[in-house]
Amino acid sequence: MVHPGIIAAAIVVALGLAPAAQAQANPELDEIRQQIKELKDSYESRIQALEKRLKDAEDAAAKAQTTATQAQSAAAQTQASAPPAPPEPPQASQQGSPNAFNPAISMILNGTYANFSQDPAKASVTGFLSNANTSDALGPRGFSLGESEVTLSSNVDHLFYGQATFAFEPDNTFSLEEAFAQTTSLGYGLTIKGGRFFSAIGYENSVHPHAWDFVDPSLVQRVFLGDNYADDGVQVSWIAPLPVFVEIGGGVGRGLNPPGSDRDKNGVGAGTLFAHVGDDIGTGGSYRVGVSMLRTSTDGTGTSIADIDDRTGTTNRFVGDTQLYGVDFVYKWAPEGNPKYQNFKLVGEWFQQRRSGDLIFDETGALGIGPTPEAFMLKQFGWYLQGVYQFHPEWRVGLRYDQLEEGSWNAGPVASANGVVKPDFTPRRYSAMVDWNPSEFSRLRLQFNQDKSQIGLTDNQVFLQYIFSLGTHGAHKF
Amino acid sequence: MRIVWTFAIALAALAGSIPAQATVSILACEPEWAALSKEVGGDKVSVYQATTALQDPHRIEARPSLIAHTRSADLLVCAGADLEVGWLPVLLQTSGNSKVQLGQPGYFMAADFVNKLEVPTAVDRAQGDVHPYGNPHVHLDPRNISRVAAALVERLGKIDAKNAAYYQARYKDFDERWTKAIAQWQARAAPLKGMKLVPYHKDEVYLINWLGMVEMMNIEPKPGIPPSAGHLSEMLAKLQAQPADVITRGAYQDPKAAEWLSEHTKIPAVMLPYTVGGTPEAKDLFSLFDDTINRLLKVRKPA
Repeated sequence: MVHPGIIAAAIVVALGLAPAAQAQANPELDEIRQQIKELKDSYESRIQALEKRLKDAEDAAAKAQTTATQAQSAAAQTQASAPPAPPEPPQASQQGSPNAFNPAISMILNGTYANFSQDPAKASVTGFLSNANTSDALGPRGFSLGESEVTLSSNVDHLFYGQATFAFEPDNTFSLEEAFAQTTSLGYGLTIKGGRFFSAIGYENSVHPHAWDFVDPSLVQRVFLGDNYADDGVQVSWIAPLPVFVEIGGGVGRGLNPPGSDRDKNGVGAGTLFAHVGDDIGTGGSYRVGVSMLRTSTDGTGTSIADIDDRTGTTNRFVGDTQLYGVDFVYKWAPEGNPKYQNFKLVGEWFQQRRSGDLIFDETGALGIGPTPEAFMLKQFGWYLQGVYQFHPEWRVGLRYDQLEEGSWNAGPVASANGVVKPDFTPRRYSAMVDWNPSEFSRLRLQFNQDKSQIGLTDNQVFLQYIFSLGTHGAHKF
Repeated sequence: MRIVWTFAIALAALAGSIPAQATVSILACEPEWAALSKEVGGDKVSVYQATTALQDPHRIEARPSLIAHTRSADLLVCAGADLEVGWLPVLLQTSGNSKVQLGQPGYFMAADFVNKLEVPTAVDRAQGDVHPYGNPHVHLDPRNISRVAAALVERLGKIDAKNAAYYQARYKDFDERWTKAIAQWQARAAPLKGMKLVPYHKDEVYLINWLGMVEMMNIEPKPGIPPSAGHLSEMLAKLQAQPADVITRGAYQDPKAAEWLSEHTKIPAVMLPYTVGGTPEAKDLFSLFDDTINRLLKVRKPA
């Protein structure tokens, strides 16, 4: 063991205050000198090491702060062997700020220039009872602002997630598109959603307009469901514990919107059921197929039968039930499953709508017949198929084909005799679009439609649209 | 209606008949975290890897298969720091799985356990698709892997307490090998110090920082924005005035821009694996760094 006195001496030596030791020919002293020298060397090297570590740590700290300039900094090169800085707690940049709990906010701005060769205000799909407040609105000619959407979303607490989407219409009206809360912690694959939300029926229905691949919705969506069929109610969905995606769900609601109408009564106004199956096909492809159903009823308000009115020159009203059955599929493909550079998306939907109830013919007595309620049944179909190909990170092209079938009409004798008959016509539409996406947050689109959904008319439509997304990076569903 | 219920009951019965899984089911968002989960978890975990090395982790579709696997996962192991912001929220919201929600033990984000570089003081989309929490590509500094492994073994022990000792033993073994490997890599990569890189995206920042290299510029004009012809010719002029040592890109990035620049500047272009599986050589975490350093050494001119 080294004597404490020797250590004291060594420290004095190491600090550079060494007194001139009197050298004497003494083997014991030589040994002590040797020990002191060793200690001195050892301390010096340790101090050097400590100094180096301190400098490295300082460099590392400085580097972490200057992010932009650090790459060019030659000084940064000195710390390749710097020991890792100790882990810090996760960064909380806005500690103590009252804004820290603000919900995520995103905003969609969009606008369109449209050119129609026929009058868009008079557009109605021949033979189809459409949903007046949303679907027949093809939008004005010329320049127009689309609806501006603001979405707020956040976890409510450890059990619920909430989201609201406000739409500001170009005519300065306001609508609450969606406002719902959903569970996040029921487990077992169960999710319950309550409030106002786009129903999960079909595929396009629950996609917000800014995420559509075309300016306008498909014809089936337009005539059977409106832009997006939303309801106030509750929806439950369950995902099976399988390696393949299997989802089953259903909802009940007020039946507020067309094809139904709001009625002042207890109980359920509308019901939906849906099931989805999906999986990957190889490394590049994936699909989802679904079936869905909607059941609702109307007292005649909200459901326009302008088509019948126009063709007969009378005013009519339909009161009764509507059932909608749909099959949808979506297939997406990208080389190696990497959609950034190239990808392809194919979507198809088929719907059948059955309406049964009463047609109150000539409500205002225009033909002198007077209001005549008669049993009325209608069974109509429609489908579309669309493909969108992104051939460059910034460019996409798309084609869509829409077709509707007049199906079978069963009107009462008075109505039939006065022109409420199935038109001998198949509404169709051809669409082509190209869009430019300089980033994930902006899109400029040019679209051309040849719309043959009105008997005897061809409407050539040209749209130029911009869609900008501000704020939180939205995550889009499949 | 009746058909639907029959279908539901049949499915429920089918689900019930599947034997309870003995292993911890992990959904790893990226290949590097799948590899680390396997290193630490061994045969007590089953790992589903959501993406491959050839897929851009920023731009993944919230595919039905991912929702199905999120639904059954006990633990998500992802990069975090908003790397998966375009798809992970959809998986979490639609999966109906309470175990993997934010704040639960089953929600494990690697970037939470390391010091992030490039944390912006102000964020603006004019800067491109910037990450407000800092650069999320943390795995390319192997010292970060050590930190994440230490946190992951703790988390696995929490989720699967009866196998905690097993995970600890595996972690200890891994950490020993990893620490040794880091020392070897640092020694081998010593000639790379000061090497000037032009990576495609800001996804090599941690590697560059670790090995004391220099990022001169990126092929992308802004993060997430593909280069235009104008931007490339601008880069060409800059690189001709002040040459870099190497132009790099990850396996998941478009080779065209890097090749074009390389051809016109005579600066070598190198594809780096970026993550496990990015090259045939990068089979696991160890060979990922072996191969990355090898590929850079190959084009490093003797100083």
